[in-house]
Amino acid sequence: MLTAIIKEAWISIASYKLRTFLTMLGIMIGVAAVVMMVSAGQAVQNRITDTFASMGSNLILIGPAELVTGGVRGGRGLPSVTVADVAALKTLKDVETTSYLMNAAVQAVYGSRNYGVSVKGTNPDYLAVNNWEIEDGIMFTEKDVRAAKPYAVIGQTVVDELFGLQNPIGKTIRLKGKPFTVIGTLREKGDGLMGDDQDNIILMPSTTVRQRLAGSPRPQYTGIAFVKATSEDKMELVAKRVEYMLRTRHRLKDGVKNDFTVRLMTEMVEKVRSVGFVLSALLAAIASISLIVGSIGIMNMMLVSVTERTREIGTRKALGAPNSWIMMQFLAESVLISFIGSFVGMVFGIAFSQLGGHLFGYEVPISIWSVIVSVTVAVVVGIVSGLMPALKAMRLNPIDALRYQ
Amino acid sequence: MAEKTVIDVQHVCKTYFMEGGTSQSVLKDINFQIKSGEFVAIMGPSGSGKSTLMNILGCLDKPTSGKYILEGYDIASKDDKELAVIRGKTIGFVFQNFNLMMKRTIADNVSLPLIYQKVGETERYNRAVEMLKKVNLIGYQDRPPSQISGGMQQRVAIARALINNPAIIFADEPTGNLDSKTSDEIMELFTFLNKQGITIVLVTHEDDVADYATRMIKISDGHKVYDGLRKEYSKEKEIKC
Ligand SMILES: Nc1ncnc2c1ncn2[C@@H]1O[C@H](COP(=O)(O)OP(=O)(O)OP(=O)(O)O)[C@@H](O)[C@H]1O
Ligand SMILES: [Mg+2]
Repeated sequence: MLTAIIKEAWISIASYKLRTFLTMLGIMIGVAAVVMMVSAGQAVQNRITDTFASMGSNLILIGPAELVTGGVRGGRGLPSVTVADVAALKTLKDVETTSYLMNAAVQAVYGSRNYGVSVKGTNPDYLAVNNWEIEDGIMFTEKDVRAAKPYAVIGQTVVDELFGLQNPIGKTIRLKGKPFTVIGTLREKGDGLMGDDQDNIILMPSTTVRQRLAGSPRPQYTGIAFVKATSEDKMELVAKRVEYMLRTRHRLKDGVKNDFTVRLMTEMVEKVRSVGFVLSALLAAIASISLIVGSIGIMNMMLVSVTERTREIGTRKALGAPNSWIMMQFLAESVLISFIGSFVGMVFGIAFSQLGGHLFGYEVPISIWSVIVSVTVAVVVGIVSGLMPALKAMRLNPIDALRYQ
Repeated sequence: MAEKTVIDVQHVCKTYFMEGGTSQSVLKDINFQIKSGEFVAIMGPSGSGKSTLMNILGCLDKPTSGKYILEGYDIASKDDKELAVIRGKTIGFVFQNFNLMMKRTIADNVSLPLIYQKVGETERYNRAVEMLKKVNLIGYQDRPPSQISGGMQQRVAIARALINNPAIIFADEPTGNLDSKTSDEIMELFTFLNKQGITIVLVTHEDDVADYATRMIKISDGHKVYDGLRKEYSKEKEIKC
């Protein structure tokens, strides 16, 4: 019986092609918009997650204390964690490795080319802590750090900007007029979270940065220190130990605030991700307004259709159509319209979001959510907008329907 | 006559209640029986209640009071679903303005009542073609009704009424929209069907059309004023009320 009803419904809507198409268009646009928004939201969320993963998710970041005056955050305090602190933290239980950075922004020169780069003074473990890999050449060693060797390991952007197609290994670049030998290059990471170029980087022994680039006025202090836990579930514990050790080493009495901050990378990931989720839910909610408009369109068309076909309904009833059949037929018509509209909308939504992803260089997932959203919308919108007209058709008195002109 | 009674109308009254509280009494204490195989013409002036009576006979409406028994079933006790089954299986309808679906093929129109009896698509089509032969419309099954004349459209409608092999056909002014020559064709078709044992009840204004029937029931202002053989009817024999 169901196939017969669907067939009848199909023939009916197919006999009003333009009207049916225009009504479908509303649902198509609505579903396409929702699918596109959901995809965009997911793409951004994935990008965030990937970026953090590329930075290493087991990380604990230790920075200067936040200055609070009268309850208002007042920027950052002076660096308080020393290179010696970082070395000591490495002895803690469940710590895989530690690292730190001393940052300097300088102009790098090679031959006639020059480029503004971010120099990070650190130790060899920085690679492991931040998921960097050597593309070519080698990383400097602990020995190089102790000897403050003028070695540079450069990111792909620096390679491109200074060397073009030349092999940079063994070449000498100049920073602040001083020479440094390129001993290695880093594998490309791509853009960071804020669209910053993660590959515009030069790694050097921290001692070298301190001595040659004269970055910090308090050279034994780190700008930011990293502690990498052995696993994600040990992070809380390790963070506690780190805090305890630093308080002891800094001789902080009970009641005195930390002169450093300890942050878990996982917490930061969660925070950013939840913002991303709320954002994409909001986008989808806005897009679904067009779905409501589309479903009003279906309801409108079906109401017109019931009125126009009053005689047909009367005839069908006189010829033995049960009320349930009449209702199901009209419901099937609206569900069919919204089903086809949703399907086409989904296809267009996916196609457009892939196209958009391609244009903006985002990896856009074809998520199961698009399908779930489309099917749910199809059924819900079809039934909700078709129910009232279908009930109207069902309740038509056959005598009045047959008398209707 | 040993024929069984298929229609039994007892003290049927019908009052329409309109919005605003007014009401109109359209049928007043109507009584008659129709036996299987009869050919009955219901006549009467415009507004006398003929269509109202036909709607009750066709189970499209229920009497305000009185009893209507169709093939032994008291219609008042049937719910909507059961009435739909009776309309689909026992009764065939023919309307004044054909009521065909213009966007569908003739075969689709003829076989429409079969859908509700859950008959499959191929069988529906085959039976439609078979029925079209009976009404002398061979080869028209795949055309739309808009391509054929009014008389042919009414024959399509008759084929549709016949498709479930009903015991009774109700026709409310089936020739009302047709010229006299086409009317004769349609009435000959009804006579032919009646000879095959189908009970036919039709409403008409025209004496020529009524002449095809054997029995005549005349209604005037909601009262039955004549009930007897058509050929014995004369104005003087009407009951005065
Ligand atoms: N559904 C209805 N609601 C209210 N009044 C109605 C309804 N149907 C018919 N009437 C009224 O009942 C009376 C009888 O109508 P009916 O259609 O039965 O007459 P008829 O004999 O078939 O007339 P005609 O020859 O013009 O077809 C008319 O006055 C009509 O206005
Ligand atoms: Mg009438």
